[in-house]
Amino acid sequence: MKEVHLPKADFVTSIVVMTLGGGALVLSWMMPTFREVGAHRYSAPGVVPGFLGVVLLLLGGVLLVRSIRSGGYRLGVTFEGLRAFFVSASIARFFAALFLSMVYVLLLGEVNYFFLTLVYILTFILAYELWLEKVPRSRGKIWAFAVGEAIVVAAAISLTFRYLFLVRLP
Amino acid sequence: MLEGLGIFAGELVKFLTPRLLFDVLWSTQLGIIVGMLPGLTATMGVALMTTLTYKFEPSHAILVLICMYVGSIFGGSRTAILINIPGTPANAATTVDGNPLAKQGRAGEAMGLATTASFLGSAFGTLMLAIFTPVIGNIALEFHSFEYFWLAIFGVTICGTLTGAKDPLKGWISGFFGLLVAMVGMEGMHAYSRFSFGSVNLAGGIQLLPAMIGIFGFSEVLMVMKQPAAQVVSASVERVLPRFREILKYWRTILRSGVIGTIIGAVPGVGEDIGAWVSYDFARRASKEKEKFGKGSVEGLIAAETGNNAAVGGAVIPVLSLAVPGSAPAAVLLGAMLIHGVRPGPLLMVESPQFIYQVVCMFLLATCAMFVLGLALVRSFVKLLSIPREMLMPAVFALCVIGSYALSGKLFDVTVMAVFGIIGYAMKEMDYPVAPAMLGIILGDLLDNNLRRSLVLTNGSLIPFFTRPISLILFLAILLTVLGRIEPVRRLVGKAFGRSAQ
Repeated sequence: MKEVHLPKADFVTSIVVMTLGGGALVLSWMMPTFREVGAHRYSAPGVVPGFLGVVLLLLGGVLLVRSIRSGGYRLGVTFEGLRAFFVSASIARFFAALFLSMVYVLLLGEVNYFFLTLVYILTFILAYELWLEKVPRSRGKIWAFAVGEAIVVAAAISLTFRYLFLVRLP
Repeated sequence: MLEGLGIFAGELVKFLTPRLLFDVLWSTQLGIIVGMLPGLTATMGVALMTTLTYKFEPSHAILVLICMYVGSIFGGSRTAILINIPGTPANAATTVDGNPLAKQGRAGEAMGLATTASFLGSAFGTLMLAIFTPVIGNIALEFHSFEYFWLAIFGVTICGTLTGAKDPLKGWISGFFGLLVAMVGMEGMHAYSRFSFGSVNLAGGIQLLPAMIGIFGFSEVLMVMKQPAAQVVSASVERVLPRFREILKYWRTILRSGVIGTIIGAVPGVGEDIGAWVSYDFARRASKEKEKFGKGSVEGLIAAETGNNAAVGGAVIPVLSLAVPGSAPAAVLLGAMLIHGVRPGPLLMVESPQFIYQVVCMFLLATCAMFVLGLALVRSFVKLLSIPREMLMPAVFALCVIGSYALSGKLFDVTVMAVFGIIGYAMKEMDYPVAPAMLGIILGDLLDNNLRRSLVLTNGSLIPFFTRPISLILFLAILLTVLGRIEPVRRLVGKAFGRSAQ
């Protein structure tokens, strides 16, 4: 199979990988060796993470060199480019899903579980069907389906986990 | 051999109770539905089902999970044939010939052929599981720390190479990233908390299942929601039952794909999708009807579906014999076995050999259920494909959340799930395969303990890592895997053999 590269993305991720590898190496070096209590020096907790840090540094380095050779360092970030990226329909759909899901996760434990799940599912469906996708159905039908599904799913999950699996809901 | 057959027959009789057979039917059917729905993968299905069955008896829970696994890998063929979108990644090769057949008005026939091929592939994989698990398990009893260290490195390297076919370097980075993630938390030798930064939660380590639900569940929700809605094509479903003559005509393809699928499935972390593609490619090369491939070839469809289902049985061989998963859903299955107190690995053959035969029985029942359900209820379940993704995905995410939470009742696990979901999404967007990362998280502990133990035993000498026979074989396999994907080395080898490297 022909190898396909994304030079700009590779340039950025290689820096992330090298930072991760370097960070792991430094932190491993700082870990105690427990030799003062008679432990063998190769049983030190930092041995394996240090080894993995070195491997990631090397692999990240190879990726960095390859991306630089392919011109990946020329990121070409412009205001227009960023604007076009953020106004695209697919990015709007992605951020809507991410935002709603993160709010759901953050409010978990703070709000009643059944109520929170119901509102999450309802908001999710309505956000897509009324705003992002503009589904060709009457508003009444969309609301009815969304409310119906939200109640059924939230109740089914809550009851199953609470009474069947005896889980104390968050 | 006869003793094994005796144990198998005894275990099979134990499974033939109305309650267990009912569970086989509903869980396989649920698996087919999960596989059918684009965005719901076999891994996600098995992971979510693990959270729903963790209160079950161990053998009961594992039966349900295996049925879900077998059902969902098959179920994805429905979507591949009808709407040209693989229901799970394992069915990507099925779209190539399955959808053209549907467009020719032969959707029912294509689904029938896919069902039969899946059944034969799964049955072949199950047979190989029964034969080779004890053999590999006995070989693995010879493994010591040195071999386990190389096995962990071999796992992430080969998985990275095969799943990152477009760019193996990214596959290797993904695998070593997973190994590093596994280092978080308290280590086994000195009870020292690594990379926990004072957090009590991080000191407990990254739990496998929440991370897996995040990487394979939440990231998939984000991916699916980013894409525009798929258009469901209405296809008439006529005759579903395949003709025996047609199946018999391609017996060589079925046998070849079964062997290839099982071998690819047994390679750590590689999985059913590669099994299907390699089987398909081999079938195309060997076919007398090459020109039909890609335009609705029955042989191509049979090869892809036999290959991916044979890989399911193959993927469980290393789970039981080495505690190393052959695919992502098999990794979840391994996690579920550990949750239920089953300890797969070489000692399984010594401690509870009957468990291997129990798993074979479970596969056999799931395979039969898949065949029956696959040929029945086709028309009614095809209607499920019209469920809009925006109605399905919030329910899936709600299950991801409660599933991650339910295992130990900690909100931290939900955070782990969410963080790994975002990491998984970013990796997929940047073309990094996620399967090696998951395999790395699983193998991290094996690598950590065995590398340090080996170094302590040899007082830092690396010589035994290269002189012990099995160690040397594993090392050479890793070396060949890596060097085989480095362009200058390939060019050099090509020149040496008098031809340019491809």
